[in-house]
Amino acid sequence: MTDLSLPLSLLQAAAESTREYGHFPGIGGRGAVWIAAEVHLMFAAFVLGVPMFAVITELIGIVGKDQRYDRLSKEFTRLLVFAYSATALWGALLLFFLTTLYPRFWGHMAEIFELSMWIYAGLFFIESFTLYLYYYGWDRWKYGRAKWGHWGLGILLNVWGTSVMFIANGWLTYMMSPPAGMTAETLPAEVGLWNAIANATWMPINIHRLIANAVFGGAIVAAYAGYRFLAARTDEERAHYDWMGYVGNFIAISTFIVLPFAGYWLGREIYEYNQQMGITMMGGFMSWLWIVQAVLIGVLFLAANYYLWLGMGRIPGAERFAPYTKWMLLLLIICWMVWATPHTMIASREEVAAMGGSHHPFLNVLGVMSAKNTAVNLMILTTFLSFLMYRRANKLPTVPWARSGTLAQGVMFGIAAAVVLFYGVYGYFVEAIVRIGFSVYQVLAVVMCIIGVTVIDILLGRGAESRGEIRWGQMPDRSQYALFVLAVTFTWLMGLMGFARSGIRQHWHVWEVMRDTSPQAATPALGYAANMITVCVVIFLSLVAFIFWLGGLAERTAGVQPAVVFPAGPGIGSSPGAPVPPTRVAGG
Amino acid sequence: MWRTNLKVLGLTVVVLGFYTGIGHIIPQLESDVPEVLAFGADVTPEALVAAGERVFHGAGACTACHGTGTRAPNLLADHGGEGQIGARCGTRVAGLSCKDYLHQSMIEPGAHVVPGFDNIMPDARRQIPEDQIWAIVAFLESLGGEVTVTSEDLPSPGAAAAPGAPTAAGAPAAFSATVDGETLVREKGCVACHVLDGVGAPIGPPFDGMGRRLTADQIRRGILDPNAEIAAGYEQFAGMMPATFADQLSAAQLEAIVRYLGGRR
Repeated sequence: MTDLSLPLSLLQAAAESTREYGHFPGIGGRGAVWIAAEVHLMFAAFVLGVPMFAVITELIGIVGKDQRYDRLSKEFTRLLVFAYSATALWGALLLFFLTTLYPRFWGHMAEIFELSMWIYAGLFFIESFTLYLYYYGWDRWKYGRAKWGHWGLGILLNVWGTSVMFIANGWLTYMMSPPAGMTAETLPAEVGLWNAIANATWMPINIHRLIANAVFGGAIVAAYAGYRFLAARTDEERAHYDWMGYVGNFIAISTFIVLPFAGYWLGREIYEYNQQMGITMMGGFMSWLWIVQAVLIGVLFLAANYYLWLGMGRIPGAERFAPYTKWMLLLLIICWMVWATPHTMIASREEVAAMGGSHHPFLNVLGVMSAKNTAVNLMILTTFLSFLMYRRANKLPTVPWARSGTLAQGVMFGIAAAVVLFYGVYGYFVEAIVRIGFSVYQVLAVVMCIIGVTVIDILLGRGAESRGEIRWGQMPDRSQYALFVLAVTFTWLMGLMGFARSGIRQHWHVWEVMRDTSPQAATPALGYAANMITVCVVIFLSLVAFIFWLGGLAERTAGVQPAVVFPAGPGIGSSPGAPVPPTRVAGG
Repeated sequence: MWRTNLKVLGLTVVVLGFYTGIGHIIPQLESDVPEVLAFGADVTPEALVAAGERVFHGAGACTACHGTGTRAPNLLADHGGEGQIGARCGTRVAGLSCKDYLHQSMIEPGAHVVPGFDNIMPDARRQIPEDQIWAIVAFLESLGGEVTVTSEDLPSPGAAAAPGAPTAAGAPAAFSATVDGETLVREKGCVACHVLDGVGAPIGPPFDGMGRRLTADQIRRGILDPNAEIAAGYEQFAGMMPATFADQLSAAQLEAIVRYLGGRR
């Protein structure tokens, strides 16, 4: 152990004997690390998210004997091969920036986490080779038992990737929530590795990022499909990429709906760890950040629903739902406005005087958690209703209880909405501690509705008659632009949340343990942060566009054509909102 | 095809511009870094109040709770019909002056929790130095009351600041209060290069057995001017030891380290 730790100790000693901070021209050390870390993280999210549904779609293809899914999975993975290099390059850049611009901080981290850093590097190698095996072995291990072995490689790829992420999360969450009892006087050598990794916010961040990666991967793949759809020269290509875009969007939105629950857990753990940190995050100088977040999430909900409503134009029978969409749009916009209403804001004495109190007389009523929770839950219910309408559009249920089943679904929606509204209003008349508990009832009502309605819908779909085949590819171009809006918004949102997580440490490298004494120690205002996030997003999207172009180049060189096979195989469209093969309706 | 590319590019620019614009039109709040304030013996109440107000709204992040009245009593405005904090602080706890009540509430937040609120406030000393705490006390007294904080309440120059607190110039605090040799050796990071109790990197001569090999004078010179004489066998690491300890250690601390290392036989 002593022998192994020597090189890092040497590095640290060298760092301590020289300087605390390096200089980076123009944007400074913080800006350089910010960009390298964020772009690395965006690529990392992509290369961790895409394998998740690559194995899921491959499994659907194996079980359903549907080549469409197998080819889709391979197409996802081809993007991974290129994106993986970019992830590693930005990771290396981040490492060089940290060692040269923040040598004292890096020495501290290296002394605590050295063993995990070596394991991380080892896993990275293993993950890379697994990815190459997975992609290049695709056609060789295509049938029979070999196919299952190949699918196993995909599982392994996810295991390695998730492990790598968990290790890196240990480092960054240590910076937010170092072990209890640690102070500025505690020597790094006195801190146990496992104690440092398994800190208060480690597992919530792990889960939050796991889900967020799936969301992000889905959104980027959907945008890729959107671009290929717009660039397609044949109807077959258009049909394929229309379907691919739908699958990516479905995965992004359905996993996104779960994300707030993971975020709630993370927020609660931050409060549990340190009240001041939690308050700084939600009500301190960062309070306006959540208004910006609400704006972004509102755009996501609107774009996702818009895409679904446009998609219904290519489904025979969907016309009967068209009159409802304008009311759904109205509800979404009202809820969005409520959610984006500010409440507890830092105010100067002059502002307090101008408002006549610490809160705005009118917005105070809408900006509280009761109203916001109600708005969010209604938006989720509305989006789920859009999915349901999409799914039901071309079905004509034939089961004898079809009418009562549909009625039961409607009742479930009604009850869920009533529960959400009831607790939303009741929340104004109780103490804060009681009100917080109401959000659990609201969420439970929505989740129960989603589960119950989905189960009934699957049963209703059994043996259902078709009103007509989905006309894949017959989508207006503007629907694909909605996919771009989703991808850009998800990427920007990821940058914003990264700023929130990192910014709540304020002027600490490690919270209340290692102070940032550099000239850029102050956490910047949101305007500056917005500029930095935009720069990161532009770099990431530019590189992703280049990678996609490379992917297309490789495809043309190899003479690969996207296969458009719509077999009449059963089972592939049985989950809510899943694509329905044109030759039969979902179910069975 | 180029038309499609331009449309996609245009849409991306518009969306990014929209979000960046939103980021700029909302209030621009920064999280300040606490600085050690330099107050002389002749500091005026006005200067203390002005500094306290700056810290209260800035690095102290006090307004996150005390500016709203929901998480904690609103200190800027009237609370419960009792007036501003400067008017009510002297009557909060029998026997405690306004100044002492406010100061104690900052360093022992659990001592006097106002009914109706939870004990969520952290010890202010973990975040800001003592002189800033007194400046905040002065500012709060000024809100409806009389400022009684004077230079005598402030810590003397050179006393321990908050852990690792930067000075006004942004440099780390130079002096630690301790005069314990072993603590100083660890605190200054000496063990990163000198083996102590068999642990550490052998970049400089080991501390173990140093008392047998060197006199007290040699140890002292080695600390103050480390590159004047390089120990045999460590030539390749020449120049690595910082020559800044003469500025970082007080005389008492230097002697404490010399005694400690001289005693390691």
